[in-house]
Amino acid sequence: MSSTRRDFLKTSLGTAALASLGPMVPAVLGRPACAAGITPDAGETILVVVQLAGGNDGLNTLVPFEDDVYARNRPTLRMPPEKVHKIDDLLGFHPNMTAFARLYREGRLGVVQGVGYPNPSGDHDASMRYWQTARPHQDGCQTGWLGRAVDHARCPDDASVPAVFVGQIKRPLTVNGETAIVPTIRSLKQNVMEPMPGPEEGPAHQRRLVEAARLPRPGQDNPLLGFLQRSSVDAYAVGRRLEEAARTATSDRTAEYPAFQVARDFHTVAQLIRADLGIRIYYTELGGEGPGGFDNHANQLGNHCALLRQLSESVAAFVDDLARDKLLDRVLLMTFSEFGRTVKENGRRGTGHGSAAPMFLAGGCLKGGMAGEHPNLTDLENGGQKFHTDFRRVYATVLDRWLGFDSRAVLGETFEPLDVLRV
Amino acid sequence: MFDAPQSPLRPAGTTAAEPPETAADKWSDPRWAWAPYEPDDARRWNSRLAGHLYRRAAFGADFGQLERALDDGPQRTIDRLLQGEADATVFNQTYDGYEAGAASADGLRAWWLRRMMLTPHPLLEKMTLFWHDHFGTSNADVKDARLICAHVHLLRSHALGRFQPLLEGVARDPAVLVGLGCQANRKAQPNENYARALMDNFTLGKGNYAEADLREASRALTGWFVLRSRLRYIEREHDAGTKKVLGREGDFDDKDIARIVLEQPAASRLLVGKLYRWLICETDPPGKPLIAPLAESFAKDYDIGKLVETMLRSNLFFSPAAYRRRIKGPVEFALGIIRGLEGMIPTGPLGHELAALGQNLYHPPTVKGWPGGRHWINHATLLGRSSLAQALLAGKEPYGETLDPLAVARRHGHRSPEAAGRFLLDLFLQGDVEPGVREALLQTAAASDAAAGSNAGQRLRQLAHHVVMLPEFQLA
Repeated sequence: MSSTRRDFLKTSLGTAALASLGPMVPAVLGRPACAAGITPDAGETILVVVQLAGGNDGLNTLVPFEDDVYARNRPTLRMPPEKVHKIDDLLGFHPNMTAFARLYREGRLGVVQGVGYPNPSGDHDASMRYWQTARPHQDGCQTGWLGRAVDHARCPDDASVPAVFVGQIKRPLTVNGETAIVPTIRSLKQNVMEPMPGPEEGPAHQRRLVEAARLPRPGQDNPLLGFLQRSSVDAYAVGRRLEEAARTATSDRTAEYPAFQVARDFHTVAQLIRADLGIRIYYTELGGEGPGGFDNHANQLGNHCALLRQLSESVAAFVDDLARDKLLDRVLLMTFSEFGRTVKENGRRGTGHGSAAPMFLAGGCLKGGMAGEHPNLTDLENGGQKFHTDFRRVYATVLDRWLGFDSRAVLGETFEPLDVLRV
Repeated sequence: MFDAPQSPLRPAGTTAAEPPETAADKWSDPRWAWAPYEPDDARRWNSRLAGHLYRRAAFGADFGQLERALDDGPQRTIDRLLQGEADATVFNQTYDGYEAGAASADGLRAWWLRRMMLTPHPLLEKMTLFWHDHFGTSNADVKDARLICAHVHLLRSHALGRFQPLLEGVARDPAVLVGLGCQANRKAQPNENYARALMDNFTLGKGNYAEADLREASRALTGWFVLRSRLRYIEREHDAGTKKVLGREGDFDDKDIARIVLEQPAASRLLVGKLYRWLICETDPPGKPLIAPLAESFAKDYDIGKLVETMLRSNLFFSPAAYRRRIKGPVEFALGIIRGLEGMIPTGPLGHELAALGQNLYHPPTVKGWPGGRHWINHATLLGRSSLAQALLAGKEPYGETLDPLAVARRHGHRSPEAAGRFLLDLFLQGDVEPGVREALLQTAAASDAAAGSNAGQRLRQLAHHVVMLPEFQLA
C-alpha cells in the first residue's frame, strides 16, 4: 500500500482513534497476507479496460493506406493516404486520431495487431461473451475473466474493492465473479454517502457512524462482528476519500477532458486512481449496449469517425492527466472489441462482421510500437483478417506481467505473454 | 421496552440461551444440540431470542410480533412461523396473479420483494429464497420472465414440502433446462449439463460421484426438450437402454435418477449442511457427527418442513453458537428496516438498489448461487447499505414517507425523544449493543433541547440510520 493512503487514513481517523482501535487495525492498514493471487511486489499497478461494443473496424482505425487490396475493397470507406497519420510506409492512424498518433510517437501507445481467437463467431452476443469470459465457444460460462481474477486475488477477510465498473450501461459480464461483488460507479457524486438531514450536522452525523462502529465491544468473541467493525471503519474512510474526490472533481481539470461521456468516465477513473483506494481494475466502455455503436453495416463513415475521435481524444486526456500527476507509470489501458469488420465494404457504405482486429494499449510502461504483423488482406476468414495472436495471450500479459495475478488460474490454461511492457 | 418495568417486553438477559457448564462441548453434542429448546432460568425466553428467531425464520420482526412472541413462548411462535397465518394461501394466490402480469424480471423482482414485505407466511418466502439460491437459475441465462416466474413458483410450492418432488420438478423445469443450456437432450448426443449440476450442486457435491455416473445419468435424461419455451418429451429421443448409475442398474428415466441420487447419504448431508448455514450458523461448518442424526432422518423422507422445524426448535438454534453468527444479505438488511418500521415502500427502486448491493433476485451470479457470508461485505457494499438506509429513512422520494421512526415509537407509547430512541435500539437490536455505543447513539436522541419538538422526527431518523448501520445490525 502506498504511504499516501496510509497517511490519509491516519489523518482522517485521527492518530488517537487509530491507537484506540488496538488489535482491530483496519484491514487496509495491515492487509492480510492471504491475498493469494497477488504478487506482493506488483503492488499498485492498475489496469483500465475499454470495451468497444459492436465490432470495431480495425482496418479504418489502423489504416493500411498503401495496400491496393484495401483501396480496392473500400471504394467509399477508404481513408485517403494523405489524410492518415502515418506511422510507417504501410500503416497510419485514422485521420480523426491525431491524439493517438501523438501518444504513439511519445511511446505511450502501443498496438497489438491481428488479435482474435480460433473459429471466430460472427454473432455479436456470442463473440462479445467469448471476449468477456475468455472462454471461446463455451456458451455456459457465467463468470467474466476479470471477475475470476478478482475472485482469485481477494480474500474474504479483506473488504477492500479490487475492481469497479465505471460506466452508464448494465454492468458487463466481464466483471461477474463467483464470489466478488464488483460495484458499478456512474459518477463520483452518486457514490458519496449522503448524510441524513436533521439537527445533527452532516459531518457530525458521519463522525458518529464511524464512532459507533469503532467503539470496543468487550467480551465479544464473534469473528463476524470484528470483521464488520473493521470493514465499516475502513468503508467510512473510503467514503470520505470519495467525497473529497467528488469535491475536487468539478474544479479539477474537467476542462481538459473533451465533452464525451467516455471522457467523463475516464475522468472519474482518474479521480478514483488519485483517491488511492486500492482499486486495481477499472472497466469502462464506449459503444453502449445491444449490438453496440461500432456496428456499422450502412453509412459507416460519419459514425465511425465520431467514435474514433471520442476514443482517441478521451484516452489522450486521461493519459495526459495521469502523466501530470506522475501516475501514468502505474496505469495500463487496454481496448478490445468483439471482432473486426470485413475487408470488403458491403454496397451500403458499411461493413460486415469480420474477425481479427488490433488492440490498443496505453500507459507509461509500454515498449511502444507495433506487436505482430499486419494480417494479410487476401487470406481471409469470415471475410475479415485472420488472427495470429490469441486475445488470451494479451489477457495473460496484463494478468501476469502487469497485475501480478496468476493468469493460469484465471484463464484455465497457460498462454504465452507478449513482450510489450517495460516491467 | 426499555421504559421498564412498565414495558411489556421483559428485559433482555445478558447472553443468549447459554447452556450451563462446558458450553462448547454441548454445542457439538448432537443429543443436546437438536433437542428442543425449553426455556428455564438459565436460558430464559426473551426479546433477544424472539428477535433472533424472526431474523432467521422471517425477515425481521415488528414490535407487535416481538411482544406477541414473548407472550406466546417459543413453541407457539415457531408453530405460527411454520404454518403461516390463516390467509397465506389466498395472499399467495393474489400475488401469483400479480406476477402473471409482470412483463420483465425487474417487475417480478418488485413483486417478490413486496410479497416478502407483506406475507403472512414469511418463512415460506425465506425458504423460497433459499431454494432460489440453491438451484442458482438466473434470468441472465434464461432470458424469459415467464419461465423464471414459473421456476420460483415451483420452488415456493415445495419450499417447505418434500425435496424429492421438488427435484423431480426442477429436472423438468424449462427455466432450469434453458439456464443450464440443456434445451435439447438427444439420444445420440446426451447433454451432460443437467446431470453435472444435479450431482455437483443440487445434491451430492464434488467427489461423491464418478464421471461415468454422470454420463450414464445423462442418458436417462434424454428425450426432454424445451421448444419455444415449452417443455416437450420426444419418445424417440429417449434412450431406453440399461444405465449404470451410482451402483444401480436399470432402464432409468429422469425420475429414477432423482430417486437414485437421493439414496446417496451425501445428498442429505449436503442439503442439511447447507440449511445449517442458512438457518443456524455460517462461521464454522458443522462437524459430521453434529449433523449426522439430522441427515439420517432427512434421508428417510426428505421432508423439508420437518427438518426446518427441528432446526428452529433446537437448543443449538437458540444458543450462542448460532446467535448473530450470520451476515444479513442485502434483502434481509432492507426488509429488516422496513418490517421493523411497519411500513410499505415502492419495491421497484428497492430491487434495483439490492442488485447493486450484490443480491439481484432472479439473477444469482452463478449456478452455485450467492456465496453469502463475508462476501456480502466490501467497502462499496457497506457504503451502499448506508446510502440505501439513508434513502429508506429520509422520508422522501423514491421511498416516500411511510417509514417514520418517530410515528412508530409514538404508536407504541414512547413519546419523549429519549424514550423513542431507546425504543428504536430495542426494536432493531433488542438491546444487543455495548453500553458505550448505546450512550453515544442516544446522545443523538437525548440532546433534546428547545428545538426538539419540531426536529424530533428528523433526529430519530438520524438515530435510526446510525442503528441500522451498526456492525451488529448487519448480523442476522
